[in-house]
Amino acid sequence: MIILKYLLVIFLVTTAYLAISFKEELVSIIFLSIFSIILTTLYLIHNAPDVALAEAVIGAGLNTAIFMTVISQVREGKKSMFREDD
Amino acid sequence: MSKAKHIFVVIVLSLLGITMVINLNKIPGNTDQINFIYSHITNNAVLETGSLNFVTAILYDYRAYDSLGESTIIFGAVSGIVLLLSRKTLPVSSHGLSFIVKRTFGMLTPFIFLFSLYIISHGHLSPGGGFQGGVILGAISIIFSIVYGSEFDFKRYSPTTKTLLETGGALLFIGLGLAGIIFGGYFLENLRFLNTEIGSLLSAGSIPLINTVIGFKIGAGLAIIFYSMIQKTFKEEDKL
Repeated sequence: MIILKYLLVIFLVTTAYLAISFKEELVSIIFLSIFSIILTTLYLIHNAPDVALAEAVIGAGLNTAIFMTVISQVREGKKSMFREDD
Repeated sequence: MSKAKHIFVVIVLSLLGITMVINLNKIPGNTDQINFIYSHITNNAVLETGSLNFVTAILYDYRAYDSLGESTIIFGAVSGIVLLLSRKTLPVSSHGLSFIVKRTFGMLTPFIFLFSLYIISHGHLSPGGGFQGGVILGAISIIFSIVYGSEFDFKRYSPTTKTLLETGGALLFIGLGLAGIIFGGYFLENLRFLNTEIGSLLSAGSIPLINTVIGFKIGAGLAIIFYSMIQKTFKEEDKL
């Protein structure tokens, strides 16, 4: 169990670093989603199912959907801006 | 980012980390007061609140005032986002995803709804509570608008219904708190009228009621946030 804990922490730090190191936003969003799934497992191992449930629902579900929407909105807005310039 | 700037950022962050570690070490550990609160909650929480889940007992009974503050924060966020983003455009968007995805989610969505109701209603018995179940309720609205297109979401679960649920939930929460003053003595006191056996569904006084109210309030609030965020695309797609 201790080995699993340390492995998960290493994965956690790796996904957090990868999420900020990519230039493409969609990849970062997916890595953030993986980050919260690993964090959920860690909370479960540390006997905090309430927090784990909140993290799974908000971090992996809602955050991904809202970030995706914002990214698509921003790209759509940029496209229409360039169109109006032309 | 230039190299000197990079090194500066690393130095500032590591200094911040060192100060955080020093300050966290200065927090008093197991003093008498913390031991007293800990032993009081572990010994008396079941008898005092009737809730088997101590986290819910703390969140919605001992510290229900903090939960009121949290839901006020969400209310403020919803109001701000609606004020900034909502535009009076027609609720017509893309026609959703393909037939297979629509059928699959048509079969899955009732079970997601049932799961959220289970998490809300069993908040005082098992892990979960109003907040978590409410976010799952909000996710149903997100599924509607992504998979079926937001015209479906607008027809089935219109913004007026969402607003009614949100404000109604907030008012009922404050109403429960005021009922505590009227019947018991202080704000948000546990009204002990659901007093069946400890561990059954209708126990724990007003905790299940506060859970239900918060669940619908949070779910409707997050649905409003998502809806007002995707609202702008309609105009763009109408142009095209």
